[in-house]
Amino acid sequence: MLKFFNVTQDIVRSRLDTFRRKFPNLGIILVAALLLELISAVQYWYTRGLLAQELEHHAESELRLKAVIVKGILNAIETSLRDHAYDARHHLADHESLYPVAGRLVRAHPNIMSGGIAFKPYYYSTDERLYEPFALCRGDSISFMQLADADHDYTQMEFYVQALAQGDVYWSAPYIDEKGGLGLITTVSMPLDDADGQTVAVLGADVSLNWLGDTLNNRHMYPSSFDILLTESGRLIAGPHEKGTDLNTVVALINDSTKARQLSQTGRTTVLDMDDAKNGDATIFYANMKGEPHWQIAVVYYDHEVYGKLNRMRWNILLLSLLGLLLLGYIIYRSAGSFRRLKQADMEKERINGELRIARNIQKDMLPEHFPPFPERHDLDLYGMLEPAKEVGGDLFDFLVRDEKLFFCIGDVSGKGVPSALVMAVTHAFFRSASAHETNPARIMKALNGASCAGNESNMFVTLFVGVLDLPTGRLKYCNAGHDRPFVLEGGSARELPVKANIPIGLFDDFVYQAQEEMLTSGAMLFLYTDGLTEARDPQRAFFGEKRLKDILDNYATTKLTAEQLLKNMNDCVRQFVSGAEQSDDLTMLAVHYMPKKEDTLLHESITLKNDISEITALSRFVKAFTESIGMKKSEASNLRLAIEEAVVNVITYAYPRETEGTVTVEADVRTSTEEDQCLYIRIMDNGVPFDPTEAAEVDTSLSAEERPIGGLGIHLMRELMDSLNYEREDGLNILTLKKKLKDNPIKFNNNENNNP
Amino acid sequence: MKTTIHEQDERIVAVLEGELDTAAAQDVENALKPLFVDDKRDILLDCAQLDYIASSGLRILVSLLKNAKANGRKVTLKDVNDDIKNVFKLTGFLTLFDFE
Repeated sequence: MLKFFNVTQDIVRSRLDTFRRKFPNLGIILVAALLLELISAVQYWYTRGLLAQELEHHAESELRLKAVIVKGILNAIETSLRDHAYDARHHLADHESLYPVAGRLVRAHPNIMSGGIAFKPYYYSTDERLYEPFALCRGDSISFMQLADADHDYTQMEFYVQALAQGDVYWSAPYIDEKGGLGLITTVSMPLDDADGQTVAVLGADVSLNWLGDTLNNRHMYPSSFDILLTESGRLIAGPHEKGTDLNTVVALINDSTKARQLSQTGRTTVLDMDDAKNGDATIFYANMKGEPHWQIAVVYYDHEVYGKLNRMRWNILLLSLLGLLLLGYIIYRSAGSFRRLKQADMEKERINGELRIARNIQKDMLPEHFPPFPERHDLDLYGMLEPAKEVGGDLFDFLVRDEKLFFCIGDVSGKGVPSALVMAVTHAFFRSASAHETNPARIMKALNGASCAGNESNMFVTLFVGVLDLPTGRLKYCNAGHDRPFVLEGGSARELPVKANIPIGLFDDFVYQAQEEMLTSGAMLFLYTDGLTEARDPQRAFFGEKRLKDILDNYATTKLTAEQLLKNMNDCVRQFVSGAEQSDDLTMLAVHYMPKKEDTLLHESITLKNDISEITALSRFVKAFTESIGMKKSEASNLRLAIEEAVVNVITYAYPRETEGTVTVEADVRTSTEEDQCLYIRIMDNGVPFDPTEAAEVDTSLSAEERPIGGLGIHLMRELMDSLNYEREDGLNILTLKKKLKDNPIKFNNNENNNP
Repeated sequence: MKTTIHEQDERIVAVLEGELDTAAAQDVENALKPLFVDDKRDILLDCAQLDYIASSGLRILVSLLKNAKANGRKVTLKDVNDDIKNVFKLTGFLTLFDFE
């Protein structure tokens, strides 16, 4: 169960994580939503407060205004009454003439429905106790009557009693006129004095109050709100016609609150809240009308009308906020997405750039980078430089010395960038491995071409120049596969090396590459380059060109620049020419300065042998005699003897066809030069079939007895025992030279007898 | 160059004296023929008097070793001088043979 719970929890967590990943800014949006809602709520309550305050002001002025209107009408009626009291006083003499007075009173004001003069008992006649001339208005007609009789004893009535008691105008409490059918009426009455100031009667008028409701409610700011009028004791006098159902609630509420306190003593407006089932919450404002009659006036406002607009506004704002937030969320989501994509693309780019930087370093490390590369050699000065247009390039150059021969190459892979760089790396590796056992540049080229063609689906090709310079003789063998022709700086001028039209490698694996040969004189400088040099462009898009190159080289041929100086000067020329324009292609240059040392021969011995194994004994004697004559140590002499024997046995065994007679000549020389100590050279020469022992594959000395081939040790021993080997085929001769430095044990000459320059 | 064979302590001993150059190689190979016959005894090559050896000599030793190993025999070299030991080292033969 616990496990299930954990699993469920994990699922929930992972769902949440997914959700968070999908909507990383949900939190921000929620906070924004809360803030907006808070602002909206504060604004709402503040505005509502202001509106409530405004409503109170409005209610107060409403109540005042309505009170003034009602009082105005009542005052007009009261004035009419007073006027007719004056009229009646002048007609007291003739009791019949009082009927017209009553009639005039009734007509004096449209709200006066009837009126009369109630005399004190027995005023006119001792027979008749009561007398009340009375006029009643029915539409346009007025009827007159003497109202008093046994059933109608006005002396007991309120209007009569109160008017006399107060001695002034008295407004009776409103009541329903059941007899006359006038509806709600009130009676206003006042004492009537004769000329002597004696009160003789009470003048009264019945005033219809039906008009009050309409007058009060003829105009309102809010359609549902209404005014009502109450008596002092809380009885409803007037209200709106249509809203009868609400009235009772309002009256009850007012009466409840009035009971709780002394209404008559307060002139202030009272506020009550009402919860009406039909129309919702409402607010009641009510106050006393000042002076007679002591009525109360109230006004009712419904919340939905007062605050309706505000509520609608609030909902609108909320809706708009919601829409805004949704939009905001969408924008954030989208921009977060594109930001993520941007960041991802950026990271990807950064990663590729990083890898390209590494690739660039790897590529740089492939190429020779330590100059001078052969500090121990005084016959060779080399310098090379490669500037890729992009991080990695398709140009290459390389060189190595093996068996007193300099193997070098320069090449340009079609295209640029990473694909070219890959082909460049492969070509470079093949050059190294082919040079390890091939001496003929055409065969090196063939091997490279075969390797490049294999699986070359993308048809990349390489223009390549391969040169093999025999350092003792200055013989340059080379093969050019469609590359720019190198220059030779020799004898004060620069000339292009003649090249055969071989196609670039990587195209046809059966193409036969042809090598060529040149002899370099001492001091000759080879200058090799890729088309990044001649095709460098200035800001006007003009090429550097071969003509300019040749001019510069001609100029340098007359100077004694080192290989490094030559290339650096050339590079400066190019930089000056392009003057800041973007480099469009890889630029590679290689300079080989050939300067063989001059040597003096100190000692020379030779022996010629037949191609017979038994001749080895004679060879051994020759070597022993020679090594003893130069005072060589026994173990060194033994090593030398072994190396020479192996070389000579090779010739005897392989140079001539079986049963054919031939010879092998062994020359031993001790030479010295200004740069180097004494050196021993052993030259083994024969005129047999061309055979280059330096091309033999290296034996693997780490193999077990079962795996080891029986032969192949001779050349290996020669390499191990001597300082260097060199093979040349010259004038129909195979010439193998073994070199051994004598620096530890130089020959001490006692006389110059053997010195044979 | 002189090559003699005798038996000693359950082993066949070949004594090599002189210089084993290419000229002498054929004779030595012939002289060592008895060591190539089917035999289970180990072989000891006494090199105390061997002054020189060329690659042709080394080839004989490798042939002998291969043959002996195929028959489960051991080939041991005794008292090899420094120059020859150097040649053995350069050719990787030090690891192939046993030395006494």
